[in-house]
Amino acid sequence: MYFIKQQFTLGAYPAILSLQLPDPSSPDYIPTLLYKVRAHLAIGDNASALALLPADTENVALKAAAALAKDEQGLESLRDLCVEIEGDQDSDDWEKQTVQVLAATAFIRAGEIEEALETLRGEGIPGDEQAALLTQVYLSLARPALAQKVLAPALKANPDALVLQLAEAIISLVTGSQGTSGEPYAPALSFYNEQVANPSISSPALLVGRAVVRILRGELSSAQSDLEEADSIISRAKCEEASSDMLAAMIVAAGLSGAKKGDADQLWSRLLKQHPSHPLVADIAAKELLFDECASKFQVPPRAVAVA
Amino acid sequence: MSVMLTKFESKSNRVKGLAFHPTQPLLAAALHNGSVQLWNYRMGVLVDRFEEHEGPVRGVAIHPSRALLVTGGDDYKIKVWDLKPQSRRCLFTLHGHLDYVRTVQFHHEMPWILSASDDQTIRIWNSTSRHCVAILTGHSHYVMSAQFHPKDDLIVSTSMDQTVRVWDISGLRKNTPNNGPNNFETFDTFSTVKYVLEGHDRGVNWASFHPTLPLIVSAADDRTIKIWRMSETRAWEVDSCRGHFNSVSSAIFHPKHELIVSCAEDKTVRVWDLAKRTAIQTFRRENDRFWILAAHPNLNLFAAGHDGGLIVFKLERERPAFTVHGDMLYYVRDKYVRTYDFNSGSDIGMLSVRKFGSPYVPPRTVSYNPAERAVVVTISSDNGLFELSSLPTQSNGEVKDSLIEVRDLSNSVVKTIKPPVQTNEIFYGGTACLILSSITTVVLYDIQQQKTIAELNSPPVKYVVWNADGSLVALMSKHTITIANKNFSQNSLIHETIRIKSGAWDDTGVFIYSTLNHIKYCLPQGDHGVICTLDNPVYLTRVKGKTAHCLDRSARPRTITFDPTEYRFKLALLRNNYDEMLHIIRTSTLLGQSIIAYLQQKGFPEIALHFVQDKNTRFDLAIECGNLDVALETARAIDRPECWERLAQQALKQGNHKIVEKAYQQTKNFDRLSFLYLATGSTEKLSKMQKIADARGDPMSRFHNALYAGDVLGRITVLRDVGLHPLAYLTAKTNGLEEEAAEILEVAGLTEADVDDIPVFGKCTLQTPSVVTPTSNLNWPSISMGESFFDRALANGHLDGDSDIPHINGNGLDSGAGASTALDDWAKDEEPDVEEDGWELDAEAEDDEEKDVDEEFEDAIEEEDLGAGAAPGVSENELWVRNSPFAAEHVAAGSFDTAMQLLNRQLGVVNFELLKPLFLSIYRSSHVYVSPIASLPPLQLHIRRNPEETSPGRVLPVTARTLSSIRTELSEGYRFVSGNKLSEAQATFRSVLLALLLIVVSSDNEAKEWRDTVTTAREYLIGVSIELERRRIAQDEPDNVRRSLELAAYFTHCQLQSQHMQIALRSAIGVFAKANNHATAAKLARRLLDLNPDPKIVAQARQRIAAGDRNPRNTVEVSYDEFTEFEICAATYTPIYKGSPSVRCPYTDAAFLPEFKGKLDPLIELTEIGASASGLPAPR
Repeated sequence: MYFIKQQFTLGAYPAILSLQLPDPSSPDYIPTLLYKVRAHLAIGDNASALALLPADTENVALKAAAALAKDEQGLESLRDLCVEIEGDQDSDDWEKQTVQVLAATAFIRAGEIEEALETLRGEGIPGDEQAALLTQVYLSLARPALAQKVLAPALKANPDALVLQLAEAIISLVTGSQGTSGEPYAPALSFYNEQVANPSISSPALLVGRAVVRILRGELSSAQSDLEEADSIISRAKCEEASSDMLAAMIVAAGLSGAKKGDADQLWSRLLKQHPSHPLVADIAAKELLFDECASKFQVPPRAVAVA
Repeated sequence: MSVMLTKFESKSNRVKGLAFHPTQPLLAAALHNGSVQLWNYRMGVLVDRFEEHEGPVRGVAIHPSRALLVTGGDDYKIKVWDLKPQSRRCLFTLHGHLDYVRTVQFHHEMPWILSASDDQTIRIWNSTSRHCVAILTGHSHYVMSAQFHPKDDLIVSTSMDQTVRVWDISGLRKNTPNNGPNNFETFDTFSTVKYVLEGHDRGVNWASFHPTLPLIVSAADDRTIKIWRMSETRAWEVDSCRGHFNSVSSAIFHPKHELIVSCAEDKTVRVWDLAKRTAIQTFRRENDRFWILAAHPNLNLFAAGHDGGLIVFKLERERPAFTVHGDMLYYVRDKYVRTYDFNSGSDIGMLSVRKFGSPYVPPRTVSYNPAERAVVVTISSDNGLFELSSLPTQSNGEVKDSLIEVRDLSNSVVKTIKPPVQTNEIFYGGTACLILSSITTVVLYDIQQQKTIAELNSPPVKYVVWNADGSLVALMSKHTITIANKNFSQNSLIHETIRIKSGAWDDTGVFIYSTLNHIKYCLPQGDHGVICTLDNPVYLTRVKGKTAHCLDRSARPRTITFDPTEYRFKLALLRNNYDEMLHIIRTSTLLGQSIIAYLQQKGFPEIALHFVQDKNTRFDLAIECGNLDVALETARAIDRPECWERLAQQALKQGNHKIVEKAYQQTKNFDRLSFLYLATGSTEKLSKMQKIADARGDPMSRFHNALYAGDVLGRITVLRDVGLHPLAYLTAKTNGLEEEAAEILEVAGLTEADVDDIPVFGKCTLQTPSVVTPTSNLNWPSISMGESFFDRALANGHLDGDSDIPHINGNGLDSGAGASTALDDWAKDEEPDVEEDGWELDAEAEDDEEKDVDEEFEDAIEEEDLGAGAAPGVSENELWVRNSPFAAEHVAAGSFDTAMQLLNRQLGVVNFELLKPLFLSIYRSSHVYVSPIASLPPLQLHIRRNPEETSPGRVLPVTARTLSSIRTELSEGYRFVSGNKLSEAQATFRSVLLALLLIVVSSDNEAKEWRDTVTTAREYLIGVSIELERRRIAQDEPDNVRRSLELAAYFTHCQLQSQHMQIALRSAIGVFAKANNHATAAKLARRLLDLNPDPKIVAQARQRIAAGDRNPRNTVEVSYDEFTEFEICAATYTPIYKGSPSVRCPYTDAAFLPEFKGKLDPLIELTEIGASASGLPAPR
């Protein structure tokens, strides 16, 4: 079970997808199922996720997962579930937390940041996953101080939680904090180095993560080799869905390293084709519009030409 | 004895116990209300209070060598306190007495505390083990006091049982180590009653030992004081002193003289002669009964506690009588006139005056008559006596019943003077003059003419000191010193809060005086200050250089060494003795706030400037003394709006409008700036201000600027923009701008007919003031600030290199040289300065905004406790934009609009279309995404150039394109040139120039490299373009040989690298040779040879030269003059000879014919030709 959780946290989704479900009566059944469903969701395969879920389950966590899989339509049922678990005595804390995490995820995807924050905060100290989620939300809002504030007590309570370590690494990626060593991005770098070296996990997400750290540190060539390795894992796993960040990172690495012209553009078109919804794509499109708008503010005088 | 001088008095609850601190001016008083006060009697302040006893405190004592205080009270407790200022607190409490504790005392060497109590016992406590070590029993009533003998192992105690007992405690000293605590059995074995003194008829309140003699004095309720003598074996009553008419509470021996001091409930303190047992003096209080007496162990000081507080007093004047003549000091010690030689230090007794006046009163004054080598000694007892001893002795005048008698040396009255005022004292007043002191005035009196020369108001003068040459005199009273000149026509008064003791003149004319606790100096004009601090008062007799000779209170000569720098400096300042000042500054470390404040206060800010490091103070001083250079420099360092404003004001006063301009620019004071430009006739700047006003969007400012600049159209535009059509119309009309007027009417929807009822105004006569003297580039001549000797001297001193003076003014402000350097500087930095300021306006506006945001941000963080945190913070992109003035970094941050504005302002770029791919790829390359958590949208991360910086104020984006990567591209372009792929080369050079636009330079070197790269790329681009044009012409218009030839020649004038230049030359030679223009071909070939080409090429070139020599003619006339320097217009590819007008591309600096101003640069199609631009911002 721990292993599954670890794999999930570190983004080794293909490995989880290939898991065999245990016997439905086993206590591990529901958690395993849940992780499997969430792995499907993580790579955007909502249909298979729904197929995995029993339709008539009473388990709130599974219900939440189902709702998450339904995107927009699931929001209402997630809201209901959130209210339901508040007074609920039957469900485990674990289940409640999962419901909160899934609901918050859905809210964030729908752009309801405030609602997500509300859901995650709840009363008392947030659970590990909630804390990690909160951290990311705050980071996306450019409020690293708040993120740190959420993470610090959680990390103190449970310093071994992988998901929290990951969140810490991400904070350092955003703020450039140097940890105690004085090296830029040190916490992130050591986290990824450690996890990449972990022989039981092979996750392209980790490699991409490390590549990103290296890009941030300006170590472009080693970043590119990480990215290539990730690329090969992904193409072996035939799981193109997980490649969006990798492609984005490859584009950046290519752009910065001054590689041959067209390299970056080629990767760019690949990203455009495979992941038209990636935020980088959306962002660049917005910027193109912005550029045109801004450029049009300047009047271009007629070209100076020699009058014969 | 007629003296009892009260030094200090305090009001409080009844004082029952008193103790002097042996070394510090501290006095502990035990109060009936339970409090113990600690007074500084010299300064008259309450230092501390100890309030832990419940009920009255009766006994108090201070340890003779350690900082300890012991108290005993009616709560049966004895408390020991720490006296150290940082830790004043109760250390421990001794319990054991069963009734009130009357007195407590420390032993002088053993760790013992002695206490007497109403429980009829005397106890000795070990203050280390904090146990009772002995209980002395025997008294059959309250024990009223107990005292250790100052040396022997004896205790004297008194009791209500009418006895005085003397106890022998020598056994205690021996046995202490062996005794366990609380072993009551053993207590009595070593402490025995030695004597029981019976004689008092009532209870005995107090008894104490004589400090040296085997005497005891006791005070009792029977109103007598008894003196007892002890021998080894017995003790007996010597005598009684009667006089008190109520219970005597305390009696002590005078520590130095043979006197007894007593106090009683009859409200008197009395002094008795120990030998004669007669009362000498009585001091009486109206309402307060006295309870306790204490004597200072070393000084002539006593304290007495009464119902309403306490008094500290001394019994005799301690000021030794002295006089100085030449290098000899004549003084009286122990009733002996002595002389002391300042130089040799010899101290000789001359004459005894023991029989003179009262035996208890020391002589008051000594005067020396050098003519007769005689001294006069006066004494104030017995109505004032004088004794002339012609050293032997003699005399002068004396006040007697308001008459002054002048006697000769044989003591016959020569003259009797009726003084003009009630005279208390007379002093020597210069030749044939006297100084007479009354209650309120001092009179200078001429004895011969019997008239008053001058009169000054002053408190009663006690002493007079003349300086060495008799030109200045110091009149000292209790709290004031009056410094006057010989005839009192000038004077200054110094007021001191504490008592002035004595004074002496320094050789340089500074008066040095001593107060109770300081030695101070006083300059003739009245400035004074502290030289050093004193533990005990001294009486100054003579000051020489760094040494002050003085007498201490026991009339022993001493010397004190001190540092006279400060007053010597001030004196030098007063006398304008700059050499001296300079010397002092150089040789001593004269620093500190006081000297700065002094200089400033005295109107020498420019000198103070030399001492100041603190920039705020420096600024203040610089403004005050009008040193604008320094003020500007410090204002830059401080950079606060107030400073700039003050600087502007001051500079305006002095007419230095350049500094005014800078200050206004700093404070964004646009209106004033505009007006300043108007006043200085700086039309160019005014137009810039107009632009800035446009940028700021402030119509009022725009209107002003337009008005100042005489820009009628501008004014009309502003008026129209703000909707004031009527005004706009009239403005247009009165200025004869009919077209504009019509247009306005049209916009307003009116016709001429609608407005024909408007009265016709004459043509506007408003004109811009014509510039009479163009002052915009020079400062108005201003009054020379008079470069002071001091400045120059200091400057020179500094050049000599031996000075540690931190700052130098250098030249005065507006000397000719200064002005011209200023002009040079101006010329140098004017352009970028102004432009950049213009640019910074926006940047800083952003800054302000950002500060607000920051504040909000912080607030938010503080307020919310993780509540409502959904408001986004400041994103890294915003930080980048804030932190950088480079377009490239704004692009990386995605802030395209600001990036474009920057490019527009810095490099005049107007056509951005070509930059779009660059913009997008840079932006794309600056952000990377990571999705750490399943199913969440990925997180955008920002790639930084400087990952080691974490402060939000420093982070900057990664540089997508670096100079070196662009140079690689540039060399690719070179390869295309060499490979004759000219159109590819052209594209490459264009792209290089595009990329160079978005480069961040981080150092001056890089900035230079950037500029070089731009220039090179431009030259190549022009060259390649020319060559392409030539080929086009050769192909399209084969007849146009002339143009073709010209272009070939121009190509050789682009600044190319030598191998490319060879190509250009060879191609030109070919073309010219073909056209039979051999002369030019030969010239070109010579140029080719200069480049040291391959031997093969050399051969060809020589051929051409030979051909040219053979046939030095040109068939086709071309417009090519290789002898005049020229640039090539990048639009027409025609030469612009040196000196002809041209306009330039704001980015590449390519030259164009003037008619292309305002057009788009055809070379790279980015910029507006001739637009003003500030260039790349300063690297950071």
